[in-house]
Amino acid sequence: MNVRYSAIAALIAFLLGLAVATFSELRIFLPALLRGAAVTIEISILSAILFFSMSFIAGIGRLNSIRPIRWISTIYIEVFRGTSLLVILFWFFFVLPSFGVVLSPTQAAVLGLGLNFGAYGAEVVRGAITAVPKGQKEASAALNLPDWKSTLRIVIPQAIPIAIPGLSNLTIEMIKATALVSAVTLVDITFASVQQNQIHYRTLDIFIVAMVIYYCFSQLIRFGGAILEARMTRHLARPH
Amino acid sequence: MTEPKIRFDKVSKRYGSLTVLDRLDFEVDEGEVVTIIGPSGSGKTTVLRVLMTLEGVQDGVIWVSGEPLNKMQSKNGMVPANKAHIRRIRSRIGMVFQNFNLFPHMTALDNCIEAPIQSLGLSKAEAVERAEELLAMVGLAEKRDQYPSQLSGGQQQRVAIARALAMRPEIILFDEPTSALDPEMVGEVLSVIRALAAEHSYTILLVTHQMGFAREISDRVCFFDGGKIVEQGLPNELFGNPQNSRLQQFLSKVLEAR
Repeated sequence: MNVRYSAIAALIAFLLGLAVATFSELRIFLPALLRGAAVTIEISILSAILFFSMSFIAGIGRLNSIRPIRWISTIYIEVFRGTSLLVILFWFFFVLPSFGVVLSPTQAAVLGLGLNFGAYGAEVVRGAITAVPKGQKEASAALNLPDWKSTLRIVIPQAIPIAIPGLSNLTIEMIKATALVSAVTLVDITFASVQQNQIHYRTLDIFIVAMVIYYCFSQLIRFGGAILEARMTRHLARPH
Repeated sequence: MTEPKIRFDKVSKRYGSLTVLDRLDFEVDEGEVVTIIGPSGSGKTTVLRVLMTLEGVQDGVIWVSGEPLNKMQSKNGMVPANKAHIRRIRSRIGMVFQNFNLFPHMTALDNCIEAPIQSLGLSKAEAVERAEELLAMVGLAEKRDQYPSQLSGGQQQRVAIARALAMRPEIILFDEPTSALDPEMVGEVLSVIRALAAEHSYTILLVTHQMGFAREISDRVCFFDGGKIVEQGLPNELFGNPQNSRLQQFLSKVLEAR
Protein backbone atom coordinates (compact mmCIF):
# COMPACT_ATOMS: atom_id res chain seq x y z
CA MET A 1 0.00 0.00 0.00
CA ASN A 2 1.15 3.46 -0.92
CA VAL A 3 0.87 4.93 2.57
CA ARG A 4 2.82 2.11 4.16
CA TYR A 5 5.55 2.42 1.53
CA SER A 6 6.14 6.09 2.20
CA ALA A 7 5.98 5.49 5.97
CA ILE A 8 8.86 3.06 5.61
CA ALA A 9 10.71 5.51 3.37
CA ALA A 10 10.22 8.25 5.96
CA LEU A 11 11.49 6.03 8.73
CA ILE A 12 14.59 4.98 6.79
CA ALA A 13 15.33 8.58 5.79
CA PHE A 14 14.88 9.72 9.34
CA LEU A 15 17.14 7.03 10.79
CA LEU A 16 19.72 7.67 8.10
CA GLY A 17 19.73 11.39 8.75
CA LEU A 18 19.88 10.78 12.46
CA ALA A 19 22.79 8.38 12.05
CA VAL A 20 24.80 10.76 9.90
CA ALA A 21 24.06 13.64 12.23
CA THR A 22 24.91 11.67 15.33
CA PHE A 23 28.08 10.50 13.72
CA SER A 24 29.18 14.09 13.12
CA GLU A 25 28.42 15.37 16.61
CA LEU A 26 25.02 16.79 15.98
CA ARG A 27 24.81 18.33 19.42
CA ILE A 28 26.79 21.33 18.27
CA PHE A 29 24.14 22.45 15.78
CA LEU A 30 20.99 20.43 16.52
CA PRO A 31 19.66 22.71 19.31
CA ALA A 32 19.70 25.67 16.95
CA LEU A 33 17.92 23.66 14.24
CA LEU A 34 15.29 22.48 16.69
CA ARG A 35 14.68 26.06 17.78
CA GLY A 36 14.24 26.82 14.07
CA ALA A 37 11.88 23.86 13.75
CA ALA A 38 9.79 25.25 16.61
CA VAL A 39 9.44 28.55 14.72
CA THR A 40 8.50 26.66 11.55
CA ILE A 41 5.86 24.71 13.46
CA GLU A 42 4.46 27.83 15.11
CA ILE A 43 4.24 29.73 11.84
CA SER A 44 2.81 26.68 10.05
CA ILE A 45 0.03 26.13 12.56
CA LEU A 46 -1.00 29.77 12.73
CA SER A 47 -0.83 30.18 8.95
CA ALA A 48 -2.77 26.96 8.41
CA ILE A 49 -5.63 28.26 10.55
CA LEU A 50 -5.83 31.42 8.44
CA PHE A 51 -5.27 29.41 5.25
CA PHE A 52 -8.17 27.02 5.91
CA SER A 53 -10.49 29.81 7.04
CA MET A 54 -9.78 31.88 3.95
CA SER A 55 -10.11 28.83 1.70
CA PHE A 56 -13.65 28.21 2.90
CA ILE A 57 -14.69 31.85 3.16
CA ALA A 58 -13.48 32.78 -0.31
CA GLY A 59 -14.35 29.41 -1.86
CA ILE A 60 -17.95 29.66 -0.65
CA GLY A 61 -18.00 33.39 -1.36
CA ARG A 62 -17.06 32.83 -4.95
CA LEU A 63 -20.20 30.75 -5.45
CA ASN A 64 -22.50 33.09 -3.51
CA SER A 65 -25.60 34.36 -5.25
CA ILE A 66 -24.89 37.92 -4.15
CA ARG A 67 -22.70 39.54 -6.77
CA PRO A 68 -20.52 41.87 -4.61
CA ILE A 69 -19.58 38.90 -2.40
CA ARG A 70 -18.51 37.01 -5.51
CA TRP A 71 -16.49 40.01 -6.70
CA ILE A 72 -14.67 40.50 -3.41
CA SER A 73 -13.82 36.79 -3.24
CA THR A 74 -12.57 36.77 -6.82
CA ILE A 75 -10.46 39.90 -6.28
CA TYR A 76 -8.92 38.41 -3.14
CA ILE A 77 -8.15 35.11 -4.88
CA GLU A 78 -6.66 36.74 -7.96
CA VAL A 79 -4.53 39.25 -6.04
CA PHE A 80 -2.99 36.76 -3.64
CA ARG A 81 -2.69 33.94 -6.14
CA GLY A 82 -1.22 36.19 -8.77
CA THR A 83 1.56 37.77 -6.72
CA SER A 84 4.78 36.38 -5.30
CA LEU A 85 4.67 35.20 -1.69
CA LEU A 86 8.05 36.78 -1.03
CA VAL A 87 6.82 40.14 -2.31
CA ILE A 88 3.66 39.79 -0.18
CA LEU A 89 5.84 39.15 2.88
CA PHE A 90 7.95 42.23 2.08
CA TRP A 91 4.77 44.24 1.73
CA PHE A 92 3.38 43.21 5.08
CA PHE A 93 6.67 43.74 6.90
CA PHE A 94 8.43 46.61 5.16
CA VAL A 95 5.76 48.52 3.19
CA LEU A 96 2.78 48.57 5.55
CA PRO A 97 4.69 50.49 8.27
CA SER A 98 4.87 53.47 5.90
CA PHE A 99 1.05 53.44 6.00
CA GLY A 100 1.19 53.31 9.78
CA VAL A 101 0.52 49.58 10.11
CA VAL A 102 3.38 47.92 11.97
CA LEU A 103 3.29 44.13 12.13
CA SER A 104 5.55 41.84 14.14
CA PRO A 105 7.60 39.35 12.09
CA THR A 106 5.27 36.53 13.15
CA GLN A 107 2.14 38.53 12.25
CA ALA A 108 3.56 39.45 8.86
CA ALA A 109 4.60 35.86 8.14
CA VAL A 110 1.27 34.35 9.20
CA LEU A 111 -0.76 36.92 7.27
CA GLY A 112 1.38 36.51 4.16
CA LEU A 113 1.36 32.72 4.16
CA GLY A 114 -2.26 32.34 5.28
CA LEU A 115 -3.69 34.79 2.76
CA ASN A 116 -1.51 33.54 -0.07
CA PHE A 117 -2.35 29.87 0.41
CA GLY A 118 -5.96 30.70 1.27
CA ALA A 119 -6.29 32.01 -2.28
CA TYR A 120 -5.17 28.67 -3.71
CA GLY A 121 -7.27 26.78 -1.18
CA ALA A 122 -10.36 28.78 -2.13
CA GLU A 123 -10.16 27.32 -5.62
CA VAL A 124 -9.84 23.81 -4.19
CA VAL A 125 -12.89 24.39 -1.99
CA ARG A 126 -14.83 25.91 -4.89
CA GLY A 127 -14.04 22.86 -7.01
CA ALA A 128 -15.11 20.54 -4.21
CA ILE A 129 -18.41 22.36 -3.71
CA THR A 130 -19.11 22.20 -7.44
CA ALA A 131 -18.38 18.46 -7.34
CA VAL A 132 -21.20 17.78 -4.86
CA PRO A 133 -24.08 16.41 -6.98
CA LYS A 134 -26.67 19.02 -7.98
CA GLY A 135 -29.42 16.77 -6.63
CA GLN A 136 -28.29 17.51 -3.08
CA LYS A 137 -29.05 21.19 -3.51
CA GLU A 138 -32.37 20.32 -5.16
CA ALA A 139 -33.34 17.98 -2.35
CA SER A 140 -32.56 20.77 0.13
CA ALA A 141 -34.79 23.15 -1.82
CA ALA A 142 -37.56 20.56 -2.00
CA LEU A 143 -37.30 20.25 1.80
CA ASN A 144 -37.50 24.04 1.97
CA LEU A 145 -34.16 24.46 3.75
CA PRO A 146 -32.92 28.06 3.57
CA ASP A 147 -30.01 28.45 1.14
CA TRP A 148 -27.41 29.10 3.81
CA LYS A 149 -28.43 26.05 5.81
CA SER A 150 -28.33 23.89 2.73
CA THR A 151 -24.81 25.16 2.00
CA LEU A 152 -23.61 24.78 5.58
CA ARG A 153 -25.27 21.52 6.56
CA ILE A 154 -25.72 19.62 3.30
CA VAL A 155 -23.19 20.79 0.72
CA ILE A 156 -20.10 21.70 2.78
CA PRO A 157 -19.99 18.43 4.78
CA GLN A 158 -19.92 16.59 1.46
CA ALA A 159 -17.42 18.99 -0.10
CA ILE A 160 -14.87 18.67 2.73
CA PRO A 161 -13.78 15.09 1.99
CA ILE A 162 -13.51 16.01 -1.69
CA ALA A 163 -11.33 19.00 -0.78
CA ILE A 164 -9.03 17.15 1.64
CA PRO A 165 -6.48 15.78 -0.88
CA GLY A 166 -6.08 19.18 -2.50
CA LEU A 167 -5.91 21.00 0.82
CA SER A 168 -3.37 18.62 2.36
CA ASN A 169 -1.28 19.03 -0.77
CA LEU A 170 -1.37 22.79 -0.30
CA THR A 171 -0.61 22.45 3.41
CA ILE A 172 2.58 20.56 2.58
CA GLU A 173 3.40 23.25 0.01
CA MET A 174 2.78 25.89 2.66
CA ILE A 175 5.04 24.26 5.25
CA LYS A 176 7.83 24.25 2.73
CA ALA A 177 7.07 27.85 1.82
CA THR A 178 7.66 28.85 5.45
CA ALA A 179 11.33 28.74 4.43
CA LEU A 180 10.71 32.24 3.04
CA VAL A 181 9.91 33.79 6.43
CA SER A 182 13.57 34.55 7.05
CA ALA A 183 12.81 37.48 4.75
CA VAL A 184 10.92 39.05 7.64
CA THR A 185 13.71 38.27 10.15
CA LEU A 186 12.31 35.01 11.57
CA VAL A 187 14.80 32.24 12.27
CA ASP A 188 13.09 29.10 10.98
CA ILE A 189 14.71 25.74 10.15
CA THR A 190 16.06 26.91 6.83
CA PHE A 191 17.54 30.12 8.16
CA ALA A 192 18.88 28.36 11.27
CA SER A 193 20.57 25.81 8.99
CA VAL A 194 22.17 28.54 6.92
CA GLN A 195 23.40 30.26 10.08
CA GLN A 196 24.76 27.05 11.60
CA ASN A 197 26.48 26.20 8.36
CA GLN A 198 28.19 29.56 8.34
CA ILE A 199 29.44 28.93 11.87
CA HIS A 200 30.35 25.24 11.72
CA TYR A 201 30.79 24.47 7.99
CA ARG A 202 29.06 21.10 8.38
CA THR A 203 27.05 21.49 5.19
CA LEU A 204 26.16 17.83 4.60
CA ASP A 205 24.79 16.89 8.02
CA ILE A 206 23.09 20.21 8.74
CA PHE A 207 21.12 20.15 5.51
CA ILE A 208 20.32 16.46 5.80
CA VAL A 209 18.78 17.10 9.20
CA ALA A 210 16.88 20.08 7.81
CA MET A 211 15.57 17.97 4.93
CA VAL A 212 14.52 15.14 7.23
CA ILE A 213 12.65 17.54 9.50
CA TYR A 214 10.74 19.01 6.53
CA TYR A 215 10.03 15.52 5.22
CA CYS A 216 8.64 14.39 8.56
CA PHE A 217 6.35 17.44 8.69
CA SER A 218 4.96 16.74 5.22
CA GLN A 219 4.40 13.07 5.99
CA LEU A 220 2.54 14.06 9.13
CA ILE A 221 0.18 16.20 7.06
CA ARG A 222 -0.20 13.49 4.44
CA PHE A 223 -1.16 10.85 7.00
CA GLY A 224 -3.39 13.27 8.85
CA GLY A 225 -5.19 14.13 5.62
CA ALA A 226 -5.55 10.47 4.60
CA ILE A 227 -6.92 9.47 7.99
CA LEU A 228 -9.35 12.39 8.03
CA GLU A 229 -10.52 11.61 4.52
CA ALA A 230 -11.03 7.93 5.34
CA ARG A 231 -13.03 8.83 8.45
CA MET A 232 -15.22 11.31 6.63
CA THR A 233 -15.97 9.07 3.66
CA ARG A 234 -16.62 5.96 5.73
CA HIS A 235 -20.38 6.28 5.38
CA LEU A 236 -20.49 7.70 1.89
CA ALA A 237 -21.58 5.63 -1.05
CA ARG A 238 -18.95 4.95 -3.66
CA PRO A 239 -19.57 6.81 -6.90
CA HIS A 240 -21.66 4.58 -9.16
CA MET B 1 -66.51 26.85 -6.99
CA THR B 2 -63.51 25.68 -5.08
CA GLU B 3 -60.05 26.76 -6.12
CA PRO B 4 -57.94 23.94 -7.61
CA LYS B 5 -54.96 22.86 -5.50
CA ILE B 6 -52.55 23.47 -8.36
CA ARG B 7 -53.20 25.65 -11.39
CA PHE B 8 -50.84 26.42 -14.25
CA ASP B 9 -52.02 29.51 -16.08
CA LYS B 10 -50.45 29.80 -19.54
CA VAL B 11 -47.04 28.80 -18.20
CA SER B 12 -44.13 28.86 -20.62
CA LYS B 13 -40.61 27.59 -20.01
CA ARG B 14 -37.85 27.80 -22.58
CA TYR B 15 -34.21 26.80 -22.67
CA GLY B 16 -32.82 29.10 -25.35
CA SER B 17 -34.81 28.27 -28.47
CA LEU B 18 -36.18 25.03 -27.01
CA THR B 19 -39.69 25.36 -25.62
CA VAL B 20 -40.27 22.89 -22.80
CA LEU B 21 -43.61 24.17 -21.54
CA ASP B 22 -45.76 25.89 -24.14
CA ARG B 23 -48.42 28.14 -22.59
CA LEU B 24 -49.47 25.26 -20.40
CA ASP B 25 -52.87 25.29 -18.70
CA PHE B 26 -53.17 22.55 -16.13
CA GLU B 27 -55.23 22.05 -13.00
CA VAL B 28 -55.14 19.53 -10.19
CA ASP B 29 -57.81 19.36 -7.51
CA GLU B 30 -57.22 18.82 -3.84
CA GLY B 31 -56.71 15.15 -3.02
CA GLU B 32 -56.51 14.22 -6.67
CA VAL B 33 -53.93 11.70 -7.91
CA VAL B 34 -52.73 12.75 -11.36
CA THR B 35 -50.20 10.87 -13.44
CA ILE B 36 -48.25 12.52 -16.22
CA ILE B 37 -46.99 10.36 -19.04
CA GLY B 38 -45.27 11.24 -22.26
CA PRO B 39 -42.15 10.77 -24.34
CA SER B 40 -38.86 12.12 -23.03
CA GLY B 41 -38.50 15.82 -23.69
CA SER B 42 -42.25 16.30 -23.53
CA GLY B 43 -41.94 18.57 -20.48
CA LYS B 44 -43.47 16.17 -17.97
CA THR B 45 -40.62 16.32 -15.47
CA THR B 46 -40.35 20.07 -16.00
CA VAL B 47 -43.90 20.47 -14.67
CA LEU B 48 -42.74 19.00 -11.37
CA ARG B 49 -39.47 20.93 -11.33
CA VAL B 50 -41.04 24.33 -11.87
CA LEU B 51 -43.70 23.51 -9.29
CA MET B 52 -40.95 22.67 -6.79
CA THR B 53 -39.26 25.96 -7.82
CA LEU B 54 -36.10 24.11 -8.83
CA GLU B 55 -36.42 26.03 -12.08
CA GLY B 56 -38.09 29.27 -13.01
CA VAL B 57 -40.52 29.94 -15.82
CA GLN B 58 -40.54 32.73 -18.39
CA ASP B 59 -44.26 33.38 -18.64
CA GLY B 60 -47.47 32.61 -16.85
CA VAL B 61 -48.45 32.10 -13.27
CA ILE B 62 -48.45 28.94 -11.18
CA TRP B 63 -51.07 28.92 -8.43
CA VAL B 64 -50.97 26.75 -5.34
CA SER B 65 -54.16 26.72 -3.22
CA GLY B 66 -55.19 29.98 -4.81
CA GLU B 67 -51.91 31.75 -4.13
CA PRO B 68 -49.37 32.56 -6.83
CA LEU B 69 -46.07 30.68 -6.49
CA ASN B 70 -43.77 32.40 -8.95
CA LYS B 71 -45.38 35.82 -8.50
CA MET B 72 -46.68 37.81 -5.60
CA GLN B 73 -49.21 40.56 -5.14
CA SER B 74 -47.88 44.03 -4.51
CA LYS B 75 -49.41 47.48 -4.76
CA ASN B 76 -48.21 47.59 -8.37
CA GLY B 77 -49.97 44.35 -9.21
CA MET B 78 -48.21 41.03 -9.70
CA VAL B 79 -44.43 41.11 -9.35
CA PRO B 80 -41.87 38.26 -9.43
CA ALA B 81 -41.90 36.44 -6.11
CA ASN B 82 -39.07 36.98 -3.66
CA LYS B 83 -37.34 34.18 -1.77
CA ALA B 84 -39.44 34.49 1.37
CA HIS B 85 -42.66 34.23 -0.64
CA ILE B 86 -41.40 31.24 -2.62
CA ARG B 87 -40.31 29.48 0.58
CA ARG B 88 -43.68 30.09 2.19
CA ILE B 89 -45.68 28.69 -0.72
CA ARG B 90 -43.39 25.80 -1.55
CA SER B 91 -43.50 24.57 2.05
CA ARG B 92 -46.79 22.95 0.99
CA ILE B 93 -45.02 20.87 -1.63
CA GLY B 94 -42.77 17.84 -1.21
CA MET B 95 -40.84 16.00 -3.88
CA VAL B 96 -39.44 12.53 -4.39
CA PHE B 97 -36.66 12.30 -6.96
CA GLN B 98 -35.69 9.69 -9.48
CA ASN B 99 -32.23 9.38 -7.90
CA PHE B 100 -33.49 9.61 -4.30
CA ASN B 101 -31.03 12.43 -3.45
CA LEU B 102 -30.78 11.34 0.15
CA PHE B 103 -28.11 13.15 2.14
CA PRO B 104 -25.30 10.56 2.12
CA HIS B 105 -23.60 11.89 5.25
CA MET B 106 -26.69 11.36 7.38
CA THR B 107 -28.46 8.26 8.64
CA ALA B 108 -31.99 7.43 7.49
CA LEU B 109 -33.40 9.03 10.64
CA ASP B 110 -31.21 12.13 10.35
CA ASN B 111 -32.34 12.52 6.75
CA CYS B 112 -35.92 12.61 7.99
CA ILE B 113 -35.41 15.03 10.89
CA GLU B 114 -33.00 17.48 9.24
CA ALA B 115 -35.54 19.68 7.49
CA PRO B 116 -38.30 19.46 10.12
CA ILE B 117 -35.80 20.79 12.68
CA GLN B 118 -33.91 23.22 10.45
CA SER B 119 -36.80 24.47 8.37
CA LEU B 120 -40.01 23.96 10.37
CA GLY B 121 -38.31 24.58 13.71
CA LEU B 122 -39.56 21.41 15.39
CA SER B 123 -37.78 20.24 18.52
CA LYS B 124 -35.54 17.23 18.06
CA ALA B 125 -37.86 15.01 20.11
CA GLU B 126 -40.89 15.94 18.02
CA ALA B 127 -39.01 15.47 14.78
CA VAL B 128 -37.65 12.08 15.83
CA GLU B 129 -41.09 10.88 16.89
CA ARG B 130 -42.62 11.89 13.56
CA ALA B 131 -39.68 10.45 11.59
CA GLU B 132 -39.89 7.14 13.40
CA GLU B 133 -43.61 6.88 12.60
CA LEU B 134 -42.94 7.58 8.95
CA LEU B 135 -40.02 5.16 8.71
CA ALA B 136 -42.28 2.52 10.26
CA MET B 137 -44.95 3.39 7.72
CA VAL B 138 -42.57 2.75 4.82
CA GLY B 139 -41.42 -0.44 6.57
CA LEU B 140 -37.93 0.73 7.53
CA ALA B 141 -38.17 1.33 11.27
CA GLU B 142 -35.21 -0.94 11.94
CA LYS B 143 -33.04 0.87 9.36
CA ARG B 144 -33.15 4.23 11.12
CA ASP B 145 -29.45 4.28 11.95
CA GLN B 146 -28.22 3.07 8.56
CA TYR B 147 -26.54 5.40 6.10
CA PRO B 148 -27.92 5.59 2.56
CA SER B 149 -24.91 3.70 1.21
CA GLN B 150 -25.89 0.77 3.42
CA LEU B 151 -29.42 0.62 1.98
CA SER B 152 -30.72 -0.87 -1.25
CA GLY B 153 -32.16 1.43 -3.92
CA GLY B 154 -35.71 0.54 -2.96
CA GLN B 155 -35.00 1.21 0.69
CA GLN B 156 -33.35 4.53 -0.14
CA GLN B 157 -36.37 5.61 -2.14
CA ARG B 158 -38.69 4.66 0.72
CA VAL B 159 -36.57 6.72 3.12
CA ALA B 160 -36.79 9.58 0.61
CA ILE B 161 -40.59 9.30 0.67
CA ALA B 162 -40.59 9.34 4.48
CA ARG B 163 -38.28 12.36 4.40
CA ALA B 164 -40.63 14.24 2.08
CA LEU B 165 -43.66 13.37 4.23
CA ALA B 166 -41.87 14.53 7.38
CA MET B 167 -42.31 18.09 6.14
CA ARG B 168 -46.09 17.59 6.19
CA PRO B 169 -46.65 18.66 2.60
CA GLU B 170 -50.12 18.99 1.08
CA ILE B 171 -48.83 18.15 -2.37
CA ILE B 172 -46.34 15.40 -3.21
CA LEU B 173 -44.49 15.25 -6.49
CA PHE B 174 -43.02 11.95 -7.63
CA ASP B 175 -40.49 12.30 -10.43
CA GLU B 176 -40.06 8.85 -11.98
CA PRO B 177 -39.63 7.35 -8.52
CA THR B 178 -38.88 3.84 -9.75
CA SER B 179 -36.83 4.56 -12.88
CA ALA B 180 -33.46 4.22 -11.14
CA LEU B 181 -34.38 1.01 -9.35
CA ASP B 182 -33.56 -2.60 -10.08
CA PRO B 183 -36.75 -4.35 -11.23
CA GLU B 184 -37.12 -6.42 -8.07
CA MET B 185 -37.25 -3.26 -5.96
CA VAL B 186 -39.92 -1.44 -7.93
CA GLY B 187 -42.76 -3.20 -6.15
CA GLU B 188 -41.86 -2.12 -2.62
CA VAL B 189 -41.73 1.55 -3.64
CA LEU B 190 -44.94 1.36 -5.66
CA SER B 191 -46.80 -0.18 -2.74
CA VAL B 192 -45.83 2.79 -0.52
CA ILE B 193 -47.03 5.24 -3.18
CA ARG B 194 -50.19 3.18 -3.68
CA ALA B 195 -50.98 3.47 0.02
CA LEU B 196 -50.49 7.24 -0.08
CA ALA B 197 -52.66 7.57 -3.16
CA ALA B 198 -55.45 5.53 -1.58
CA GLU B 199 -55.56 7.88 1.40
CA HIS B 200 -56.44 10.88 -0.79
CA SER B 201 -55.21 13.18 1.97
CA TYR B 202 -52.41 14.32 -0.30
CA THR B 203 -52.61 15.83 -3.74
CA ILE B 204 -50.27 13.69 -5.79
CA LEU B 205 -48.56 14.40 -9.10
CA LEU B 206 -46.68 11.44 -10.50
CA VAL B 207 -44.42 11.19 -13.52
CA THR B 208 -43.83 7.57 -14.39
CA HIS B 209 -43.22 5.02 -17.11
CA GLN B 210 -45.06 2.35 -15.13
CA MET B 211 -48.23 2.39 -17.21
CA GLY B 212 -49.95 -0.40 -15.31
CA PHE B 213 -49.35 1.40 -12.05
CA ALA B 214 -50.53 4.72 -13.49
CA ARG B 215 -53.72 3.08 -14.64
CA GLU B 216 -54.29 1.49 -11.27
CA ILE B 217 -53.79 4.44 -8.89
CA SER B 218 -54.61 7.57 -10.89
CA ASP B 219 -57.77 9.58 -10.80
CA ARG B 220 -56.65 11.17 -14.05
CA VAL B 221 -53.85 10.61 -16.54
CA CYS B 222 -52.35 13.41 -18.65
CA PHE B 223 -50.41 12.74 -21.80
CA PHE B 224 -47.80 15.41 -22.46
CA ASP B 225 -46.14 16.09 -25.77
CA GLY B 226 -44.29 19.18 -26.93
CA GLY B 227 -44.81 20.99 -23.64
CA LYS B 228 -48.57 20.68 -23.73
CA ILE B 229 -51.26 18.32 -22.55
CA VAL B 230 -52.31 16.54 -25.69
CA GLU B 231 -54.88 14.29 -24.10
CA GLN B 232 -56.13 13.66 -20.60
CA GLY B 233 -58.83 11.66 -18.92
CA LEU B 234 -59.74 8.78 -16.70
CA PRO B 235 -57.07 6.10 -16.79
CA ASN B 236 -59.31 3.45 -18.29
CA GLU B 237 -60.46 5.76 -21.08
CA LEU B 238 -57.02 7.14 -21.85
CA PHE B 239 -55.30 3.76 -21.91
CA GLY B 240 -58.28 1.79 -23.26
CA ASN B 241 -59.43 4.16 -25.95
CA PRO B 242 -56.75 6.74 -26.79
CA GLN B 243 -57.98 9.38 -29.26
CA ASN B 244 -54.84 11.28 -30.18
CA SER B 245 -52.55 9.65 -32.73
CA ARG B 246 -49.38 10.58 -30.84
CA LEU B 247 -50.76 9.01 -27.69
CA GLN B 248 -51.68 5.89 -29.64
CA GLN B 249 -48.13 5.74 -31.01
CA PHE B 250 -46.62 6.35 -27.60
CA LEU B 251 -48.69 3.67 -25.92
CA SER B 252 -48.01 1.07 -28.57
CA LYS B 253 -44.26 1.71 -28.22
CA VAL B 254 -44.32 1.59 -24.44
CA LEU B 255 -46.43 -1.55 -24.34
CA GLU B 256 -44.27 -3.20 -26.99
CA ALA B 257 -41.20 -2.65 -24.85
CA ARG B 258 -42.59 -4.62 -21.97
